[in-house]
Amino acid sequence: MAAVDAVIAVEDLRKVFSVPVRDAGLKAAARSLVRRRTREVAAVDGISFTIDPGEVVGFLGPNGAGKTTTLKMLSGLLHPTSGQVHVLGHRPQRRERALLRQLTLVMGNRNQLQWDLPALDSFELNRAIYRIPPREFTQMRDELIDLLDLGPLVHKPVRNLSLGERMKVEIAAALLHRPVVLFLDEPTIGLDVTMQRRVRSFVAEYNRRHGASVLLTSHYMADVRALCRRVIVIHHGRVLFDGDLAALGARFSTDKTIVVRLPDLDAAMIARLGAYATVLGTEADSVTLRVPRADAPGVTARLLSELAVADLTVEDPPIDDVIEDVFAVEPP
Amino acid sequence: MTGPVVPVAAPLPEEGRVRAMARLYATLMRTAVVEQFQYRASNYFYMIGMVAEPVVYLVVWSTIARSTGGSVEGYTPGRFAAYYIVWTLVRNMNIVFTPYGWEERVRQGQLAGQLLQPMHPIHHDLASFAGWKVVVIILWLPIAGVLTIAFRPELNPTLLQGVVFFVAIWGAYLIRSLLLWVLGMVTFWTTRVSALYEAYFVAELLLSGRLVPLALMPGWAQSVAGLLPFKWTFGFPITALVGPIDRRELLVGLGAQLLWIIIGALLVKAVWRIGVRRFTAVGG
Amino acid sequence: MRADRTSAPDAARLTVLFLRIGALNELQYRANFFIQLMQSLLALATGLVVLALVFDRTDELGGWSRPQLLAVLGVFTLMGGIIRSVIQPNMQRLLEEIRLGTLDYLLLKPEDGQVLASIREVRIWQAVDILVGGVVVAAAVVQLEGRVGWLEAASFLGLLALGATTIYCFWLMLAAAGFWLVRMDEVQELFTGIYRAGAYPVGIYPGWLRAVLTFLVPLAFAVTVPAEAVTGRLEQGNAALALGMTAALVLVSRRVFRMGLRRYSGASA
Repeated sequence: MAAVDAVIAVEDLRKVFSVPVRDAGLKAAARSLVRRRTREVAAVDGISFTIDPGEVVGFLGPNGAGKTTTLKMLSGLLHPTSGQVHVLGHRPQRRERALLRQLTLVMGNRNQLQWDLPALDSFELNRAIYRIPPREFTQMRDELIDLLDLGPLVHKPVRNLSLGERMKVEIAAALLHRPVVLFLDEPTIGLDVTMQRRVRSFVAEYNRRHGASVLLTSHYMADVRALCRRVIVIHHGRVLFDGDLAALGARFSTDKTIVVRLPDLDAAMIARLGAYATVLGTEADSVTLRVPRADAPGVTARLLSELAVADLTVEDPPIDDVIEDVFAVEPP
Repeated sequence: MTGPVVPVAAPLPEEGRVRAMARLYATLMRTAVVEQFQYRASNYFYMIGMVAEPVVYLVVWSTIARSTGGSVEGYTPGRFAAYYIVWTLVRNMNIVFTPYGWEERVRQGQLAGQLLQPMHPIHHDLASFAGWKVVVIILWLPIAGVLTIAFRPELNPTLLQGVVFFVAIWGAYLIRSLLLWVLGMVTFWTTRVSALYEAYFVAELLLSGRLVPLALMPGWAQSVAGLLPFKWTFGFPITALVGPIDRRELLVGLGAQLLWIIIGALLVKAVWRIGVRRFTAVGG
Repeated sequence: MRADRTSAPDAARLTVLFLRIGALNELQYRANFFIQLMQSLLALATGLVVLALVFDRTDELGGWSRPQLLAVLGVFTLMGGIIRSVIQPNMQRLLEEIRLGTLDYLLLKPEDGQVLASIREVRIWQAVDILVGGVVVAAAVVQLEGRVGWLEAASFLGLLALGATTIYCFWLMLAAAGFWLVRMDEVQELFTGIYRAGAYPVGIYPGWLRAVLTFLVPLAFAVTVPAEAVTGRLEQGNAALALGMTAALVLVSRRVFRMGLRRYSGASA
């Protein structure tokens, strides 16, 4: 029953790449011209999960864990080596129209818009490519312009937009055909904090309005916490965890990182800071501390009043660190 | 499960295929026109640079015609002038998405984006280059005017010739687009392709009627050219307008173009299928 | 004190240094040699096919015999190699930097801006054309059967140097036009196209076009005149004209470039 209803069903999925082996030295290089030695690398090594209609799932893991490879298999850009993928009952690698019309893949830092023209022209293009009827097109376009606050942006040539503005327009173009399944690969990468928040609330709103399923990767804990009740963590191509974000353990959602910049930083000062919280690392003029979320305001106030702090920022710990921490995996 | 009641996601209804396709071509062509008009200075530089090539051929062959009793194989200086001026338009119609563009397309990940769209990406190239042609033809008119004043062509086409010419330049555009697409898709297998491309382009230059009217080539070369697609994209459209050509040859020419369009389309379809399978096996 | 004056020996030393570094860089991509060689030979083959077709019908073209036209083709190929290996790459980079406003880095250096802008790039594999063109010229000389003596050879080399200089000056002015005009992206296509006309002696072109190819785009001095020297057709007047034209272009182009630089630093301030 669940398997039939699931929007995405992945079973024992594997993807093996053969990569050329390069030995150092001229002789080895010459030899490799004749016969290239290759090595098999499993980027995705037997993962299974299902995603239900309307679910927003965080897909987490360190760089090279196999996230992008999985997303590419889910969207039909890569053939699985073995295992099963079903998206809306279709096998994505067959790239059937009926499926392609219902999904979208947004990758940060990738431009699909006509560079020299206003985004409205690219919207028109997508309207034709996805065969969107006139009424639905107008309605969806206006809704996206409104939700993402695009207003005047869509009339300017894309090349004149800032990175953040371009990302918003990009997202709008990717959603004009009202996809039922969204794959978002680092949608907030490189954006400033305000813009990240904007994109986040938009994804939540889109999901609420249209009941779309979303699979999202991000380096920002805030994205995940704001959007995903459930997360799937993968590492070395295998699923380490699949379940409620809340169940991931205390540290995952409750720690904060405090970065303190101090003008007179020496060993004695670092030792002194250790009394406030756990010292994670030191740089030339700054120290990174970790405290439980609840303690963060108190510690911050004490630091500011008791020490000559030049600058102080409170952040979420990077996801990669948290994963390494929680699962005691070695960094890639 | 307790949770908010979510609306059931459903796909959008679909517009009719023919209508959507027409809209796609119209939009892409309009987009290309706007885009290329922004680059009209570049377009002009490119075109004027291109005109040098036929002018050289024209001067060489008119000189020979004059020094050898007024004509070469029936080509008087005036007919050479007509041939090489029409040449400039046909050459422009022959500019399509180059095989070199494919490497860029694969490397920069544009191909992945296109694979996600529910549409064959060749339509994108066909439509946007066709739109560009509109700009090209408008920019070309003054150049043709200058060349006409400078070289005084003899050009008296019949109405039928004019109609066939108009159809044939688009046939030429289609054939060359399809064949160069196939050539470009070699990039799916290897990136060391420039030697192959260059060899193809030289063969095309010699056997298409671009270098000289094929009538001036030795008989064996003309026979070889008859078996290849090149002359149908270059020499045939020119001769259709400039002559000498009879009604039967005009129709045979259009038939040959149709044949090569079918061959090209089938090749595109087959190679694309195998190529994408390979692309999705190894990852972009 | 003017920091941007560089003496001639210093300029020569700098040139050798930069060209050496550029060459070392390019030597890492040896596969390009074969690609370039193939392109050169294909282009040469095409030129030879045309010559064969021409002399199938006639014994001379505009007063030039077959071996003489072969010499023109050789000089055309050779000069094309010089242009594409050292002149054009530098000028294109200059144009690009003018457009992007990144010329500042070059102007900060305590050497002559024009010298620096002209020696930073070298495409050694494009120089294959210099070799191929040289071989073709030599073949033509052999076919001419001893009408070429030491005097002709010396004047050929001298005129070749003058020819390369005129093209360099022409390109420098073209690039300097970028100080005033914004859209110069395809100007290299324009030049490459017009350069094709040099594959034949400018004398065969109608009067107006001959004037254009002599005084506007100086192909006559770059290709035809050196070819006249090596085929023993050179008239004293043409050699003097080449010398005068080169001198004038050197002065004018330097003037134009300096005016452009002034405008550039004025605009970015």
